[in-house]
Formats: sequence, C-alpha cells, structure tokens
Amino acid sequence: MEKDKIIRAKNVDFYYGSFQALTGVTMAFEKNRVTALIGPSGCGKSTLLRLLNRMNDLIDGARVEGEILFEGRNIYAPEVDPVEIRRRIGMVFQKPNPFPKSIFKNITYAPKLSGVHRKSDLEALVEESLRQAVLWDEVKDILDRSAMTLSGGQQQRLCIARALAMKPDIILMDEPTSALDPISTARIEELIDELKQRYTIIIVTHNMQQAARVSEYTGFFYIGKLIEFGPTEKIFTNPSVKQTEDYITGRFG
Amino acid sequence: MNAAAPSTSLKWRYVRQGLFFGVVRLSAFLITATLLLILAYIFMNGFRAISWDFLTLPPTDAMTRGGIMPAIVGTLYLTVGAIAVALPLGVASAVYLTEYARQGLAIRVLRIGVNCLAGVPSVVFGLFGLGLFVVFLRFGSSILAGALTLGILILPTIIGASEEALKAVPQTFREASLALGVSKWRTISRIVLPNALPGILTGSILGIGRAAGETAPIMFTAATFFTAALPRSVFDEVMALPYHIYVLATAGTQIDETRPLQYGTVLVLVALVLGIDLVAILIRSAMRKKKRW
Repeated sequence: MEKDKIIRAKNVDFYYGSFQALTGVTMAFEKNRVTALIGPSGCGKSTLLRLLNRMNDLIDGARVEGEILFEGRNIYAPEVDPVEIRRRIGMVFQKPNPFPKSIFKNITYAPKLSGVHRKSDLEALVEESLRQAVLWDEVKDILDRSAMTLSGGQQQRLCIARALAMKPDIILMDEPTSALDPISTARIEELIDELKQRYTIIIVTHNMQQAARVSEYTGFFYIGKLIEFGPTEKIFTNPSVKQTEDYITGRFG
Repeated sequence: MNAAAPSTSLKWRYVRQGLFFGVVRLSAFLITATLLLILAYIFMNGFRAISWDFLTLPPTDAMTRGGIMPAIVGTLYLTVGAIAVALPLGVASAVYLTEYARQGLAIRVLRIGVNCLAGVPSVVFGLFGLGLFVVFLRFGSSILAGALTLGILILPTIIGASEEALKAVPQTFREASLALGVSKWRTISRIVLPNALPGILTGSILGIGRAAGETAPIMFTAATFFTAALPRSVFDEVMALPYHIYVLATAGTQIDETRPLQYGTVLVLVALVLGIDLVAILIRSAMRKKKRW
C-alpha cells in the first residue's frame, strides 16, 4: 500500500507573500493512477500542482512549509536540484504552449539538452512520443513545419508528447483542456486513459464531468484546504463532507 | 425643439471629432514632412558632390578637393566597434535586470541610473572617454577609445530596448522550458534570447544611428582632422564623417569651395545611417518570419 504512493504532500502550507494559499494539505498520490484536483477558482488546487514539480519557485515571495516527498525524498530539501525534479515530473499547461520551432524540434529540445545527441535516437524518440500522444499519424509528414501552424488540440497533444519525451514518472496537467473544443477535449481524455498505463497523472480541472470521467481519485479543495480526498466514485456519488456535495451538485463554485 | 436638440448636438460632436482628428493628422503629417524636407534639402545640395572619386579618395588641397574615403571608413569602424562593445554588455545587463534580479529598491535605482545615463549630454561622454580611455588607460586618441566611448553612450538605448524585447517573450515559453527540466540559464539562452532578438535588433538600430552620427564623443577620443592613410590598428586615429562635417563647417577658410563637399559628406553620412538601419530592419523581418507566436 505505502509503496504504491509515488508522491505525497505532508502538512504543506504555502504563501504568496503574506497571503496563505494552502493550509495543512496532506495527501498521497497513487502510482499509475489518475488523480483529479477539483474546487472553485482560487481554492489552491493549481498551487498544489505547481508545488509538486517546484514550478512555484519562479514566483517572487513564495514560501513553502511542510514536505513534498517524491519517492520518499523531500523535493524541497536544500540539496535537491529543482531541474532534476522537473525532468522526472513533467507538466502540461492550461494553454497549449509549444515553442515557435518545428514540431520535431519541440520534442527534441529538452532531450538534446539532457544528453541525447544521436540523430537516430532523436528520430526514434520523436516517433515514440508522438505515437504515445496519438499525434503521429497527423503530423508524421510535416515534422519540419512550425508547431504554431497546428490546431489548438494538436498543439496540446504536442505539448504532452514533448513532456513524454523526457520519460517522466509523473505528468502534472493544469486544466489541459480548458482552452480546447469538445472534440479535442475528448481526444485528450482518451489519451489520459492510455497514458496511465505507464505514468502517474495528476490533473487539475474545472470540469467536474471530466474529473468523473478520467480519474480514479479525486481531491476537493476549498479556500486553500483539502476538504475531501478519496476514490472518484465515492466523491461523486456519496461524499462525506457537506461542502463537497454542495460543490459537485453545483450549489456553489 | 426636443427633436432638434439631439441632432444639433450630434452635428456638433461630428464637427468636434473632425477638428481633433484634423489636429492629430496634421501633427503626424508635419513630422513626416519635416523629415522629408530635410532629406530633400540634403539630397539637392549634396548629390552633385557625390562621385566615385569623392567616395574613394582622401581629401586634398586643404579639404577643397578630393574625397572623404578615410572618414567613411573611420565612421564604419567606430560604429561597428561601438555596437560590438554595447550589444553584448547591454543585452547581458538587460538579461540580468529582467530575468535574474529580484525586483526591488536596488533594481529600481539601477534602472533609474540607466535612464539618467541616456540623458547625459554627449560631450560629457566625450570628456569621460578622454579621461578614462585616452589618458588613464593610455589608449590615446584611437578607434578603441572612440568605440568604447560611443559604446557607453548607446548602452542605455540598447539596455532599454533589450529589456522591452525580453519582457515581450511570453512567460509561457519560459514555463514550458523550465517544466521540461531545462535549467534557467539554458531556458534564457535557447528560448528567451532567440525570441527576443528581433526586438533587441530594433532597439539597436536607434543606437547605431546615434553612434554613427555623434560628434562630441569622438572629438576628444578618436577623430582626427586629417589623415590620408587608413587605420592599421585599433590604436590609430581616424577621420570620421560627423567630425569631418564639423571641421568643414567651422575650420575652413575657403568656404565657397568646401560647402558642396560638406553637403556631400552630410548626404553620405545620412545614407550610411539609413543603410545600416535598412540592414538591421531586413535581418529583423527575416527573423520575425521564422518566429511567429
């Protein structure tokens, strides 16, 4: 049981300057499962997501208390290199953010900098990543074209492929479909279902149906606190806290 | 009366609008017209002096005959030198200010300092260059001293433009790169800087124009009244176009004979600056075509 938890937050408080965004969050994420984080805007779910790969380091005046244990090691310990953490914990953002480079170079950019140089290795990596992101068939003949020419949904799958190319253990997704149309959204959701065979996925979403469709576990946040956390089915059919019920039935948020 | 009131007020509004549009349109037109007038005046007076000999020979007969080739070459060296000094230094400062520095009081003061530097009269830079490079560092009056002085002069322009260009690169690019486990420095050098380059170049164009055209900073540090020889090292003095114009305008005794040459020199200087600008603009638009976001 303990072994299946790949990353856990222990008593995490987080501050933007003097504003406390998270209070006493403790939760553990299971390996090769999809965990959804839901809650109204400003509840701290994205903040927690960004804490898991130290993306909040970039914000001036941010402060973390408590521990985030990745495979038993606190990623906020002074000797830990955040760059190393981010290689193993990838991230997909709300708005597709491909680089203004070719499709091929978007994917090879980070692997090249971490030591993959052989042309054949890079080509294999591009194909593998694009296949995993179910984008290969659409772009295999236009790999040299700028990623900016792709549609929004394709761009987002390219961003997923780009994250996969680093062979991470965990993929964090911050509202990955909120900028996409319903068809692209459906494709990304199918993709998430495929990916969990190999990866642990933690997804922040505003769309409760999406959380219900794609995740095995759901955590509900409200005003910086984790209100309820458990199997998705239980959260959506039989929540034990009143606030959770009010939120998922649309009474607020 | 009730029906008439709104229609007259509407009419009045159109008149007012027309009036204000007219005023702003006129201002834009006046500025462009002034520029064109100056250029036309220079061209009309200067083009007769332009000939192959004028561009390829040194001045002769106490500046009343011959060409301005050493001054053209000197100005090119000084301008390229100034850019070589200011561009790396300016871009590096801008990277520090926008990407690394913790935004606070110290950085605000630093930024105000940079802006003040932009407002310092150019003759002060000339004297500073004389004191530091020519005398203290013993470079003598030379291309090196002149290029360094001009470089410092245009530094604020380049820093300002580079900061703006760096800020214009979407934050999402930085996030995307960092989230892939790429270090901050590599994110800046591989993603941020290449995408900021067109903007940096745009700003540098202004700097180039200034470096080529300034007289006061090179008067004490690099420019010489007359030399027929081309410089052989960065420690040689050179003739320069702006200083040559100054000399022709103030030091000649045969004014009627030097005046056409003076206009010719002005025309060459203006053409040179516009030419350098054009090259920068072409490079920029070629880059922009590749980098659309």
